[in-house]
Amino acid sequence: MANSNLPRRIIKETQRLLSEPAPGISASPSEDNMRYFNVMILGPTQSPYEGTFVQLLIGGVFKLELFLPEEYPMAAPKVRFLTKIYHPNIDKLGRICLDILKDKWSPALQIRTVLLSIQALLSAPNPDDPLSENIAKHWKTNEAEAVETAKEWTRLYASGA
Amino acid sequence: MLRRRVSWDVTNSLAMDDVHPSSDSIEEEATTKCYSDGFDDNEDPFFLSDDDFVGGDDGAADALLEDIKEDEIDLLKHKQQDYKILNTAEIRQRMERDVAEVSTVLSISKDEASILLRNYNWSVSKVNDSWFTDEFEVREKVGLEKLVVSSDLSSNKRKIITCGICFEPYTSDRIRYAYCGHLYCEICWSAYISTSINNDGTGCLMLRCPEPSCRAAIGQYMIDSLASEEDRKKYSDFLVRSYVEDNRTTKWCPSPACEHAIEFSGADGIFDVTCRCFTSFCWNCKEECHRPMDCDAVKKWILKNSSESENVNYILAYCKPCPNCKRPIEKNHGCMHMTCRVCRNEFCWLCLGPWKGHANCNRYMEKTDTEDRRKKLAKESLEKYTHYFERWDANRKSRLKALADHQRVKNEEFKKLSESQDIPEAYLEFITKAWLQVVECRRALEWSYAYGYYLPDKDPAKKQFFEYLQGEAESTLEKLHNCVESELKEFLDVGGLSKKFSEFRTKLVGLTTVTGNYFEKLVRALENGLCDVNSHVIKGSEDEVEDRWHCDRCTYANPSSLKSCKMCFIK
Ligand SMILES: [Zn+2]
Ligand SMILES: [Zn+2]
Ligand SMILES: [Zn+2]
Ligand SMILES: [Zn+2]
Ligand SMILES: [Zn+2]
Ligand SMILES: [Zn+2]
Ligand SMILES: [Zn+2]
Repeated sequence: MANSNLPRRIIKETQRLLSEPAPGISASPSEDNMRYFNVMILGPTQSPYEGTFVQLLIGGVFKLELFLPEEYPMAAPKVRFLTKIYHPNIDKLGRICLDILKDKWSPALQIRTVLLSIQALLSAPNPDDPLSENIAKHWKTNEAEAVETAKEWTRLYASGA
Repeated sequence: MLRRRVSWDVTNSLAMDDVHPSSDSIEEEATTKCYSDGFDDNEDPFFLSDDDFVGGDDGAADALLEDIKEDEIDLLKHKQQDYKILNTAEIRQRMERDVAEVSTVLSISKDEASILLRNYNWSVSKVNDSWFTDEFEVREKVGLEKLVVSSDLSSNKRKIITCGICFEPYTSDRIRYAYCGHLYCEICWSAYISTSINNDGTGCLMLRCPEPSCRAAIGQYMIDSLASEEDRKKYSDFLVRSYVEDNRTTKWCPSPACEHAIEFSGADGIFDVTCRCFTSFCWNCKEECHRPMDCDAVKKWILKNSSESENVNYILAYCKPCPNCKRPIEKNHGCMHMTCRVCRNEFCWLCLGPWKGHANCNRYMEKTDTEDRRKKLAKESLEKYTHYFERWDANRKSRLKALADHQRVKNEEFKKLSESQDIPEAYLEFITKAWLQVVECRRALEWSYAYGYYLPDKDPAKKQFFEYLQGEAESTLEKLHNCVESELKEFLDVGGLSKKFSEFRTKLVGLTTVTGNYFEKLVRALENGLCDVNSHVIKGSEDEVEDRWHCDRCTYANPSSLKSCKMCFIK
């Protein structure tokens, strides 16, 4: 493992993420780079991103990647959706508009708090601070229709496969 | 009116290092703005009055020296202004003074006082008012809520604490906390502070505790004890910046190379300030001084210039063909009087007309031709703009050139001149005054052209009055500029021409005064919206234009009723 001098903070955070995962969130470091995490977030219930019930809950699984830069925790982790998602604060490339990933970052925040915030963002899209202008416009002019599109995309792309 | 006051006065822009401590200078300033009289009629020997003028008589040298002493005292006395120019050290002193005051009045630490001031735009009175209204609300707002730290942290230095950032265990003597008591190790604090200082600009002055739910402020004490020397220096520079930029009573000098700030504690208003680097600007809008234009019109004009810039770019060229031999001529003089080096043709740079008998090229002539009406109007509007813009721009460049020339002459030539003429350098002050007069008048002329552009075409009488005043002012300024630029040169190489030099002095002093008078008239009239246009038609055109003789020495246009020159008392 090329991660011999990994800071204790990262090791501890990783251990805790693996041993006591937050509900609906899983994050595991990559084999060859302990700073790179494969993340899965379940779309929250009551949101257009939740899975569908067919005897079992199917789909609504969003894949993300998370990277801890050299300056972490003084600098925020870099996070990106890998699964296509129809959301006003997430763009085509999966980049996320979230204050704690930018100017509101604090070294006292952790990977866990970041992922919980992203999960909360799925429950409460904020079209007033958009990253994706078109989707935000859609959301503002016809929310019902936008939610339908988001559900459609969840079915199409967030199968978890 | 034989005793004229020199009101277009250059000493105001010379040196205004001191804030007058008493209130009367402020009152005086408020009413007279920058036209305040730099000299009293009876006190100033250089700027002439009928009974005490000292002419170019060689024998009067002693008297002259005496005058100069008085003159210098006079200058010192008139340094009083209600604004002050501050260097970085002085800004720091003021900041420390304010912090100390708040600290004493509110009985809090200097660290807390500084945090408070930063949150209230460095206004001591606002801090005091808010604090005495509701101390707890203020403390909460700025992040100075009372500390709640477990007491065993200070008593038990060997207690092991896990840092909330790096998760490493530390003994409590290596753990630090702000006003809130959230515990982090020294190393993480240093990294946290350094990250902010190097990424957040002046935002680092508002740094809060790393705990996301906590708003406790991080003060100077934490910075001083945890940041590297380099970061401490940056932080302290940010404090200075914040003190100047957030404070309503101070502004940076707009010159990019200058590090001075101007402090003005009087009421807000439009008035001009001049920095120690000789940059002058309008306190209200921070653009360069622009009297007689008002701030809004200046904004409009600057906007117009940027939108028209492509259309008029060709005008900005520094070369024009000589109107006679067509060889390219580069403008390197400050004044508009050009002489072609090839054919010796003398002409005006602006209108390319012959210099001899040259007058009134400031007048914008509407062209009449039979083009398609719309096309004609569009072309005319550009032509009109071009006319005013070119003159505005030429005077602006000429002003900057004059400023540079003045510096050069003062730095390089004064010593030589004082040796070759065998006179003290202080005696050469009149040359400085002349240069500064040129600079100030170029500036006013510059803005009078922008003013002219916005003068409505509907009112031909006003326009005529405007062009008359501007034309008069402009032609005296050209004479003054030419005199101080070209005639001075003759004395720089040749010595022993005292007689001639004192004549030169008399002429230059006279021209300086006369030019000032013309510009004062111009600026006053424009600031009054040319409301005296009617009295001009009766008195102005007949009395002033026709029945006048020009003094050979100072060129002042005297009424024919006078036998001796009103300005220099010759003949
Ligand atoms: Zn630490
Ligand atoms: Zn705190
Ligand atoms: Zn300056
Ligand atoms: Zn202004
Ligand atoms: Zn020529
Ligand atoms: Zn001309
Ligand atoms: Zn005269």
